[in-house]
Amino acid sequence: MNVLRINGLTKKYGRIKAVDELSLEVEQGMAYGILGPNGSGKTTTLGMVLDITHPDSGSFEWFEGQYGRDARRHVGALLETPNFYPYLNAIDNLGIVAHIKQVKAPRFDELLKLVNLYERRTSKFRTYSLGMKQRLAIASAMVGDPEVLIFDEPTNGLDPQGIAEIRNTLQRIAETGKTIIMASHILDEVEKVCSHVAIIKNGHLLASGTVGAIISDDFLVEVAAEDMPGLQAAFKTDSRIKKAELQEEGVLLLHLENETPAAAINEWAFSKGHTLSHLRIVKKSLEAEFLEITANQ
Amino acid sequence: MLYLLRLEWKKIRKLTSFRLFSICYLILLPAILLTGLRFDELPPPINTNEVFFMFPTVWQYLGYIGNWLCFFFFGFLSIVVVTTEHSYRTMRQNIITGLSRQQYFLSKFYLIVVVSLLAALYYALCGFTIGYLNTEAIYWHKVWQHADYIPRYFLMCFGYMAFGLFLGFMIRRTGIALFLYLAYIMFIELILRWGIHLQIVEHRSMHFYPMNAVEDLVALPFLEMADEFTSKYGFSIYLQPWEASITVLVYSALFLYLAYWRVTRSDL
Repeated sequence: MNVLRINGLTKKYGRIKAVDELSLEVEQGMAYGILGPNGSGKTTTLGMVLDITHPDSGSFEWFEGQYGRDARRHVGALLETPNFYPYLNAIDNLGIVAHIKQVKAPRFDELLKLVNLYERRTSKFRTYSLGMKQRLAIASAMVGDPEVLIFDEPTNGLDPQGIAEIRNTLQRIAETGKTIIMASHILDEVEKVCSHVAIIKNGHLLASGTVGAIISDDFLVEVAAEDMPGLQAAFKTDSRIKKAELQEEGVLLLHLENETPAAAINEWAFSKGHTLSHLRIVKKSLEAEFLEITANQ
Repeated sequence: MLYLLRLEWKKIRKLTSFRLFSICYLILLPAILLTGLRFDELPPPINTNEVFFMFPTVWQYLGYIGNWLCFFFFGFLSIVVVTTEHSYRTMRQNIITGLSRQQYFLSKFYLIVVVSLLAALYYALCGFTIGYLNTEAIYWHKVWQHADYIPRYFLMCFGYMAFGLFLGFMIRRTGIALFLYLAYIMFIELILRWGIHLQIVEHRSMHFYPMNAVEDLVALPFLEMADEFTSKYGFSIYLQPWEASITVLVYSALFLYLAYWRVTRSDL
């Protein structure tokens, strides 16, 4: 089933087009990442499909229109910051969400345990740390087990431990087959959680597809030795190697067609008279890919 | 409707300002009237403090005290319940979670209707109790002589709250909205009416301003004294209750419509 279809959505703030003729389709079961640098229109786009921002033109449709205007009750969303009543505790806050979504028997305890907030469930929201607030927001998005979850920069402002915790939680959710739409400027995050990705910049869609298709499949290896020019020349004669580029950090980056064991590369270099002082296999991250794509526009 | 009211209740039952304002109102409404017990002799035209507690005048005096209390506490409350949801960004979250903008607006509208109803009921309860205990011979026609004060009292409270809701939705910032609410009712409208309107046209149309009409619904009880002003300007300084009621209804509808328009049109 088609969960969300966006058709030519446009939003202008004065003369600036925050979102420009954006079209996307999200199918059921996808973990869909919307990637883009800060200010690229991710939140504006999500704001429009969640009815808090009025589009200037274009349209969108949830669940092929089957729930009509009540579609948002079937979507769990967290946009930008966690927004709760600071004078209420976690249970009361989730109670309001459950009431709005008309959930009959909400399983708050289960959700709070999932996000590690069970012990603090009766503390007021205002006493929470940023990470706890963010985790409560994830729990609140999951109240009533909605068909789609939307996360906007879910790890913003968290410390490394908090980031790891949130990502693990998101990965677990994605593995259950639930449809997830996640906006982020951190590619690593999208790569870890998402199956599909759309890259946007200045409100334009630059590329979209499966994460595998967007990432190039070159196999990358970093090497270094005392005689760098000699090493580079030697590797250029090897047919398995598509490209050998000297990097600023003083290492040589090899692009290989196929996956090759590190030992084989080391052996080959040694046979040409070079003793490698550095050898590292680099899976090219989506981050570099992303920077490449957005820089070219 | 119950769905939205129960949602509002979940939101405000632990809100400090709601608790504080409600308790203040519940205590002060009878308490202020009862301070009248300390004044045995009063200047004319009141003469004796008995009129404070007897049917039918108890309705007027208690109502006038309630007028001030509703102006402060419930007017403030109607602003705070809107602006805090803005600063906490919970209004935005309510919409994301699934409420429609119409429902959000309606939930606030129902809230002010219910609070005004409860305030008026409490006023009726206090009025009956105090009147019953302090009137020696109770004649039912005396009891009911000014009982039209009860629906007028409701409309008065509703008028303040509708204006508060309007300012809350329009201005969104608690401090500025509260300041404007106080400044408009206590100074700006007075300046408009007495300083500008009256100087241009000396006509009783100067009374048909929103907050003046609200105040006149349950006005200062010394109607006799008003005659002096009547002779000076050639018209009464008060609106008739029916005029005030219609004026309040028209302005409240306008305020609520503008607030609704703002809620449905603006980006959150």
